[in-house]
Amino acid sequence: MARVTLNAGEPGRRDVALLAVLAVLLVGATAWLVYREAVPEYRDHQRQFGNLVQRRLGDAAATAVPAGIQQLWVPGAGRADRCPSCHLATAWRGFERGDEPLRTHPAGMLRAHPTNRFGCTLCHGGQGWAVDRERAHGHVPYWPEPLADASMAASLLPGAGRASLMALNCNACHRYETATAGAEIINRGKRLVDEKGCRACHRINGRGGLIGPDLSWAGDKNPEQYDYGRLSGRRSVFTWHEAHFQDPRALVAETVMPSFHLPPDDIKALALLVMSWRRVGVDASLLGDLPRTDSPSPQERALAAEMERGPGAWFVKTGCYQCHPVSVFGVKSPTPIGPDLSTAMDDVERRFSVPVDTFVKNPSGTMKAVFARQFMLSPAQKDEAVRELRAAYAEFQRQQAVMPAAPARAK
Amino acid sequence: MTRRRFWSLRPASTGEATDAILANLLLHWFPARMRLTSIAWTPSFWLGTVTWVLFVLLLLSGLPLMVFYVPSTREAYQSIKDIEHVVSFGWWIRAAHRIAAHLMVIVVSLHLVRVFLTGAYKNAGQREQHREWNWVIGVAMLVGTLLLSFTGYLLPWDQLAFWAVTVSMNIVSSTLLVGPAIRDALIGGREIGQTALMRFYLLHIVVVPIAMAVLFAYHMWRVRKDGGLARGDAPQDAAEVVVAIPAVARRVTVVALLTWLVVTVLALVIPSPLEEAANALVTPNPAKAPWYFLWLQEIVADTTVRIGSVAVNGAFIGGVVLPMALLVLLTLWPWLDRSPAATVGATLPRERRTQVLVFIAIAAIVIVLTGVGLLRGPSWQFYWPWQPWANVPTRF
Repeated sequence: MARVTLNAGEPGRRDVALLAVLAVLLVGATAWLVYREAVPEYRDHQRQFGNLVQRRLGDAAATAVPAGIQQLWVPGAGRADRCPSCHLATAWRGFERGDEPLRTHPAGMLRAHPTNRFGCTLCHGGQGWAVDRERAHGHVPYWPEPLADASMAASLLPGAGRASLMALNCNACHRYETATAGAEIINRGKRLVDEKGCRACHRINGRGGLIGPDLSWAGDKNPEQYDYGRLSGRRSVFTWHEAHFQDPRALVAETVMPSFHLPPDDIKALALLVMSWRRVGVDASLLGDLPRTDSPSPQERALAAEMERGPGAWFVKTGCYQCHPVSVFGVKSPTPIGPDLSTAMDDVERRFSVPVDTFVKNPSGTMKAVFARQFMLSPAQKDEAVRELRAAYAEFQRQQAVMPAAPARAK
Repeated sequence: MTRRRFWSLRPASTGEATDAILANLLLHWFPARMRLTSIAWTPSFWLGTVTWVLFVLLLLSGLPLMVFYVPSTREAYQSIKDIEHVVSFGWWIRAAHRIAAHLMVIVVSLHLVRVFLTGAYKNAGQREQHREWNWVIGVAMLVGTLLLSFTGYLLPWDQLAFWAVTVSMNIVSSTLLVGPAIRDALIGGREIGQTALMRFYLLHIVVVPIAMAVLFAYHMWRVRKDGGLARGDAPQDAAEVVVAIPAVARRVTVVALLTWLVVTVLALVIPSPLEEAANALVTPNPAKAPWYFLWLQEIVADTTVRIGSVAVNGAFIGGVVLPMALLVLLTLWPWLDRSPAATVGATLPRERRTQVLVFIAIAAIVIVLTGVGLLRGPSWQFYWPWQPWANVPTRF
């Protein structure tokens, strides 16, 4: 058997050399590791800010500039925001014109939302756990709440600015307010919800119809849970809502949701509003005196009560008035998206070529979905509905006879 | 006098007392002298030692992680964020732990391949050897390594962890009769939650490491008892033997430092992923098993077919029948291999040619399927590395 050596040459001698080389490399790798740990991004900002404060406010002030990781623990929201590690000037006066991250935060907003109670990310978005710019700003994979910054605003809401995008975060807590100062785009969305009568079909904040899906927590729906099959272009929750508000049927074939022919700005406002309906897990102590429920206004309630006492009481109690006015009985609809029921006897025959009683028993179009999902009337109730519609039409004819010129025929 | 299986605290004779010392692994890690063939770089490539060094590195890096990690579904994810972002060197310790774990799976597999190819599970000496049992211990340690890695997979409690374990548990529960019971025992219920996290954590930090340490001790002791690296028997020649210390110790140190260096550098350049927090309501697309089980998931996916009214249960075939059959075959192979002892250490000897080629073919299939599994994208579609995945949806 041939003699086997450790390696060419004296056994072990090469091992000693190898050991030496490895030791040097290991020391090098360890030095690299220590260097990476020892020079975090925030240290530069802290040094810079220290110099800035020293120049402007003197040595004494400079000693108050903190060093190391700075953390805001927000027990009310279960968040640890380490943003102040770089954003040092937030609470300092005199750096209003500075560049980020060394810039004073606008005072008004901080008074209402002190950072020691609210932290940063609740309003701004971003990943508060991280302490390097890229990951902290959260424009990285697997972080669903990126910082609402100018570049993101520019791509989603051209011309609208960063504050509009941040309004989405405001509404997580301010959702039950009818209007929130500074959140114009969200306020616009809320007005549209009232004007267009979204609640006729959708439950929002616990109030509304059952024909469409409950939207109260629609913002929690994950990107993976949308059907992008009919959406061309970039796939995101925002683009899905945009396309859906533009033409619901183009995205969801079986939907009964009509297209409201909204201008692009309204569509963006509504998309942001829907996405803002999220659970943020905020303690009640942070909500202060914000409304906790979304109830109809006193005027709306008073009107409904008055109408319930009138001749059109049946339409009010049953809920028809949510979409349909019955003008001959003085029944007004908060969201009159359906035709006036005063002339339903005529209307139905003209539009569906069937008498009203047949239509009520076996409806088609939108009313099919309404009767199937929201107002599930028994045969006896349907007979009653026909009797009520006949009564309304009789009243309409009576009024016509008295005042032939009255414009009673509605949409 | 019959020899004791274990050393006694009350030795009955001087011989027994001596035996107790001689049987002590720590005192006799190295023999006084070793053959040059046993410490040559080839054909062992020192893969077993590398595995051991990785195991030690995993224990060392695991200790500080245990200080900061909280095994609770409410806090696990955030504690990993803390380790990653604010604990001093936390990002590197976590990366080193992860890299060492992945490397351990790779190296231990290569070790098994090497032992098989050189027929080192065969007894070829005049002295009493039980290399076949060391092979069985080795197979058990391969399973232990996979179990260590797999139980660690769940701990970050992110989407990757949650769904990889969900996929694997679905496969486990498709085992005939005992499947659901095994799943229930492993995760403490039907769904992955706090009980699953706690059980995985205890398996990961206590049960499996201790079992591995015991198996390892026996594995090393067996290697010494069987006369070091397997070879065809040859007369002892003084020129082929070196004194273990310093020659072997030095070489072990070289291997340890090299392993440590590789782990250090890889941990510096490969950041550890952490996906979104676990969410039982949102299945990521694709949801993949850990990479070392991807070849099984691939088989599961490919064998789940419906032919007419007959549905083939892919999870049962790919997840249970096939791996169990392979594992049983692997364990029993020393007794099934009837080739002569002289083939030990030889490269592709005629007598073992068929089994070696079949083994290589199976290994190649496993590697290819793992690669295919790695390249799967949304809806389990195949994507080449240069092909971007079709439009992964985001919030904005």
